[in-house]
Order: sequence, then structure tokens, then C-alpha cells
Amino acid sequence: MKVIEIKDVNKIYNSTEIKVHAVNGVSLDFDQGEFAAIVGPSGSGKTTLLNLLGGLDLPTSGKILIDGEDLSKLKSSQLIDFRLRNIGFVFQSYNLIPVLTAEENVGFIMALQKIDRKEREERTWSLLKAVGLGDRLNSRPAKLSGGQQQRVAVARALASRPKFVLADEPTANLDSKAAKTLLEIMEKLNREEKITFIFSTHDPRVVKMARRVITLEDGKVISDEVKKQSNDPENG
Amino acid sequence: MITEIAWKNVWRNKPRSLIVIAAITVGVFAGVFSIAIMNSAIVQRIDASVNEELAHIQVNNKDFRNSSDIKSIIPDYNQVVSEMMSAPGMKEVSGRIIIRGIASTSARSTGVEISGINVEKERRMLKLADKIIPGTGTFFESETRFNRAYIGEKLAKELNIIRYNLDEEALSRLREKGVPEKIISGLEPIYGERFTSGRKLQKAVENLLGEKDYKKFINPVMEAAWSYREGSRIILTFVDINNIQTGAAFRISGIFRTNNDMFEETSVFVPEEELRKLTGLKDNDYHRVIGLLDENSFTEEATSEIREALSSYEVLNWKEIQPDLAMFADMMQQIYGLFMAIILAALAFGIVNTMLMSVLERTKEIGMLAAIGMNRRRIFIMIMLESIFLSIVGGLSGMAVGGTVIALTAKKGINLMQYSEGFEAMGYSAHLFPAIDTNFFIITTILIVLTGILSSMYPARKALQLNPVEAIRTE
Ligand SMILES: Nc1ncnc2c1ncn2[C@@H]1O[C@H](COP(=O)(O)OP(=O)(O)OP(=O)(O)O)[C@@H](O)[C@H]1O
Ligand SMILES: [Mg+2]
Repeated sequence: MKVIEIKDVNKIYNSTEIKVHAVNGVSLDFDQGEFAAIVGPSGSGKTTLLNLLGGLDLPTSGKILIDGEDLSKLKSSQLIDFRLRNIGFVFQSYNLIPVLTAEENVGFIMALQKIDRKEREERTWSLLKAVGLGDRLNSRPAKLSGGQQQRVAVARALASRPKFVLADEPTANLDSKAAKTLLEIMEKLNREEKITFIFSTHDPRVVKMARRVITLEDGKVISDEVKKQSNDPENG
Repeated sequence: MITEIAWKNVWRNKPRSLIVIAAITVGVFAGVFSIAIMNSAIVQRIDASVNEELAHIQVNNKDFRNSSDIKSIIPDYNQVVSEMMSAPGMKEVSGRIIIRGIASTSARSTGVEISGINVEKERRMLKLADKIIPGTGTFFESETRFNRAYIGEKLAKELNIIRYNLDEEALSRLREKGVPEKIISGLEPIYGERFTSGRKLQKAVENLLGEKDYKKFINPVMEAAWSYREGSRIILTFVDINNIQTGAAFRISGIFRTNNDMFEETSVFVPEEELRKLTGLKDNDYHRVIGLLDENSFTEEATSEIREALSSYEVLNWKEIQPDLAMFADMMQQIYGLFMAIILAALAFGIVNTMLMSVLERTKEIGMLAAIGMNRRRIFIMIMLESIFLSIVGGLSGMAVGGTVIALTAKKGINLMQYSEGFEAMGYSAHLFPAIDTNFFIITTILIVLTGILSSMYPARKALQLNPVEAIRTE
């Protein structure tokens, strides 16, 4: 089942003196349960593409369908609600609300969805446990390491039970050990809970763990390869 | 949840929030306190005017105030009394005989208004009896075979009944007050000399002490030298019921002191029966009936009911008798309004500035919130709540400080001695007891919250204009 369909999408920035064709005629599909990396040199359009997928930005032309629903048909207020219900986000930084604890940060998104307190607490706890932070419920972001913060962000992204999670360079600010831990957690959630992850990265070790690698250059898809599951050494 | 985040966000940058809160506190306190002081002057003036001078409502013979004719009496006193007593909130009424006349001593004479009063009733109704200067006698308590009069200090001075004399007693009073011996001996040349007016004493003291010590010690010297011989007499002359000039000597029963110079200078009170004998007015012949209400708030209602029932009389309440006072009270209301508006405007600027800073500092965070699905309404509410919390905390602490200081100063009052002459010439006390009513507190609190809401609009709108993609872009 296709969760995302991208049909001949272009994104052109006219704002600066020069015209930038940030995403150039991209067509892609994503299935439920994918664990896909988007790679490519700096400026190749990874962030732009992820923003389009996440409904944070609208394409200049082309269509993006999420579960068959055309994003360009939604009004901006509907789009926010759509994001809340369907998409989990992990950003490179500034993911968390600094005045809230890890627990509250994860619970926050469910509070926005008006999920009742009891369910919220249970789910928050199990998610933080799943990302290995069951003992840091009451820590504020400032008291957590960068890797721990990103893990809270993953838990937060999953809290809303999204159709898929978008992560734009989630490991860019992490050392290699923390990056590895984060990716392992994401991979495990993908494998066991069938959570769909689409992430961009520069990091070859992260790329190695992806099951599908999409390479962009100058806004165009130049390769799209799916690895066989058995190739993954972590999967044994 | 949003409320909680907003509250926590307020305390994120503690120094900044505390500075704004302190600024709001100081502003609100300053406003509330100065209004309380201004208000106290009016409240005390109204209180004095009602309780010492006029009572709340008076009913006159229709022609009396124009003609001042002794024959313009109230035709049916009993009817007037019963109609007044049935008005809402009426506590007590009393008739007065009122005659224009001249008060004189061997030295001076001056025009006065002589009120013949029912001593027992007026002792209960008005506070005039309490205003007596200790040592000057009583409010008609001592029985004598002479006519008696109760007059104000200003009039007594005008008539030279009060003298200034640095006798032994006065000197010992000065020592009691802690005036240095050097000053007291400096006054030796005028020991025992009787001055017929305060001004003459002042001049003599200034010559002896020099300007600096004069300024410092003139008040205690004047007070100590103040002397009055009990049983002094004045002559009151007026026309009687047959238009014949008549008059008699009156013993001073007591001298009162108020904050209203005009009233002190022109009022003479005499027991009504003594005036009846001299003028030929009969029992129940009165020119005016005064009525005291339980509370000031009944004034309008009671006035209109009495006016309806007694259409052939002139019915006036204190506001109408003293339109200047009523107008002043009204004007003060407007000044309070203006005052509060200025303070609230300053408060608004403070909040807009702080919140704007706070929003711009958090662009990435707010962008992230919008990206993960916090809608515009919720972001708006969050920023608005932050502003409201700031203003409420600041506003309430300002009110608390103001309330405490008012409560502390209300007992002892604030004495503006230096300005007492000016104040009292206008009928206002220079000893102010800051006062403010609870309504004012409630209204001010509501206004502060409204200001908080209003001044949150701009920063909150600024927060909505952030584009999530731009906001979270990491350069
Ligand atoms: N708002 C914008 N206005 C103008 N040009 C933009 C804007 N956003 C991105 N671009 C341009 O679009 C192109 C693609 O940018 P994008 O951020 O998607 O690249 P990227 O692959 O994410 O790069 P990096 O690896 O450095 O994050 C770049 O040339 C960039 O300068
Ligand atoms: Mg990027």
C-alpha cells in the first residue's frame, strides 16, 4: 500500500536574484513500513523534498498524495491539523520545548490531539522506554545530551501515531556513538512496530543501515536502490 | 497544557520577567497610591461637609435663600418632618432658625450667619460638637443665665477673642514640646506681651529669631501662645420678626476648629430657644430642616422623594448646595481615569516590548511547534497567556503593595503640614487619610488584565507570521 505518492514535483525558489530549481521533476512512491534514506550533496534538495512531503511547504508544480489525499487541496489551517494527525517530525535541532520535561514533551503532542490523560501517560512511558529513556522522564531538554534529546524527539514524533516519520538529518549534531544508538532505535521501531521512517543524511554509517537509498543531485533523483533485507548485518 | 507551558515560559528568562513585573508593580502601586491620596482629600471634604456643616439634605421655605427674610419660615414644620422621615435611609432631622446678622466685640465686627439649633438633636446628628478646641468650653453644656454662642476659631480670631500671649504657661508648654532653651530665651523681650492677632506675634518672633529659626519654630510658638479667656463675650445684632434692629450679648460656650475656613469664619450657633426670645419667632417656626441619612448613597433617591412630597418647598442635597464640591468629586473621577490610563499605557508598552523580544528569541521553537501541528489559535493563545500572566503577576503585586501601604498609612494619615494653610482656605484638610474603595481595586484589576490581553495581540500576531520552514531552517 502506497503511503506517499510524489508525482512530477518541482520546487522553484524565485525569492533570490537567481532562480533555484531546488526539486526538479521528482516522482517517488513510499510504502508502509519503509526505512528510507535520502542522500546527496549539500544543496541537492533533501530538506526541500522532506518539507514538501511533510506539508510544511507546497510544490511549485506536481502532486503529493498522502494516503491518497492531495496536500495542495488543503487550506493552511487544515494542513497544520493534517500534520498533527499524520506526520511525525524529527528535526536536526530545536526539536523540544525547553520548559517541559521529556515526559511532557512527548505528552504535549497527544494533548494537542486531545487524547485523555491516562492513555497519554501510558503511551509516553512506553515510548520513552522504547527509546531507552525510561529513567529520564522528568529531565528537561537542557539536562539531556544531544543524542538523548533526539531520542525524545523520536518518541515525540511517534506519540501521535503518525502514518510516517520524517527526519531531516537527525544525526547531524550527534557524535558517532549517539548517532548509531539513535539509528538502531529507529530501525528497531521500524522492524517491530512497522513504523515508516524517511530520513535525510550525510552520514555513510547511517546510509548503510537504510533499506532503501534515494540519491538526489541538483534536485533530481539520480538513483533509487532497495537493499535486500538479509544484506543488513544488524538484522541477524 | 498550553496554560502550563505559557506559565513556564514566563519564568524562562527570570531576570527579564522580574524586571517587567517590578516595573508594573511600581507603576500600579504609584497610581493606586496617588489616587488614594487624592481621593482621601475629597472623601474627607465630603465627610466634613455632610457631617459638620450641612447634613445630607435640607428643606427650606421657597423664598428663604433668596430673601434671607426672617419671616420666610416653614409653614408646616410637622408635615415637613414627617415627609422627610419617611424618605429612604433618613436617620434624623432637625429644624434650624437661620438669621443673617453681625457679630462684634469692642475691637471688631463681621457679618455672620446665626443658626438657632436644637442642641440635643444636633449633638447627635452632626460632629460639630466633637470639633471643639479643648480648653475652650463645651457644646452648650454649662448652664448660665447668659445667652450662649458656639463659634469657629477663624471667627474668634477675627473678633480678637483669641489672643497670643507668651505667659508662664505658654513657656512651659514650649519646653514640653522640646523647643530648645536658646530659642525660648531668645523670645524673652516678648514674654507676657499680649498680641491681638497671630500676624503681630509672627512679626515679633521673626524679628527676634531671624528667618531660619522663625520658620522652624513659629508653629509651636503660635500654638503655645494661643490664649483664650473662657467666658468671653460677643454681641450679635440682627432684625427681629417685626423688622426692628435688635441684639444681645452672647457668652462664648465653645470654639470649634474645622478644615473649612469659610465655614469657621461665618457660622455662629445658638440654642434655638435663646434666639426665639430675642426675635419673637414662635415654637416650630424654622427656616430650614436638615436631614441626615444613614449613608451617602441614599442621597439622590431620598432627595427626589422628598422633593416630590414637598413640592412647595426648596429641597436641596449637599451636592446641590455645594456644586463645586460635587463637580470637584466628578472631576477627580476623570483625573483618576486619566491617571490609570497613563499607567496602563506604560504597562502595555512594557509588555509589548518584552513579549516581542521573547517571541523573536523563540522563532525556531515556535516554528517547530507550528511544524509538528500546534495550530495558529493555540500559538496565539500561548503567547497571549504569557502576556496576561506577566501583567497579572505585576498588577496584583502592585495592588498588594498599594493596598498594604494604604492600609498602613490610613491609620495615622499623611500630614502635609506645610500646605495646611492653602488646603484649609479651600476647605480641605491637610491631614490626609489615604482611602480607596474595593470597587476601585476590582475595576483596576480587570483593567490590568484587559491591558495584558490587548498588549499581547501584537506579539502574538508576530508569532503567527513566522513561517515554520523558515523558522526551523538551520543555517
Ligand atoms: N527558502 C529558500 N529560498 C531560496 N532558495 C532556497 C530556499 N530553501 C532552499 N533553497 C535552495 O534550494 C537548494 C536546495 O536546498 P536544500 O536545503 O533542500 O538542500 P539540502 O540538500 O538539504 O542541503 P544540505 O545538505 O546542506 O542540508 C539550495 O540551493 C538552496 O540554496
Ligand atoms: Mg538540508
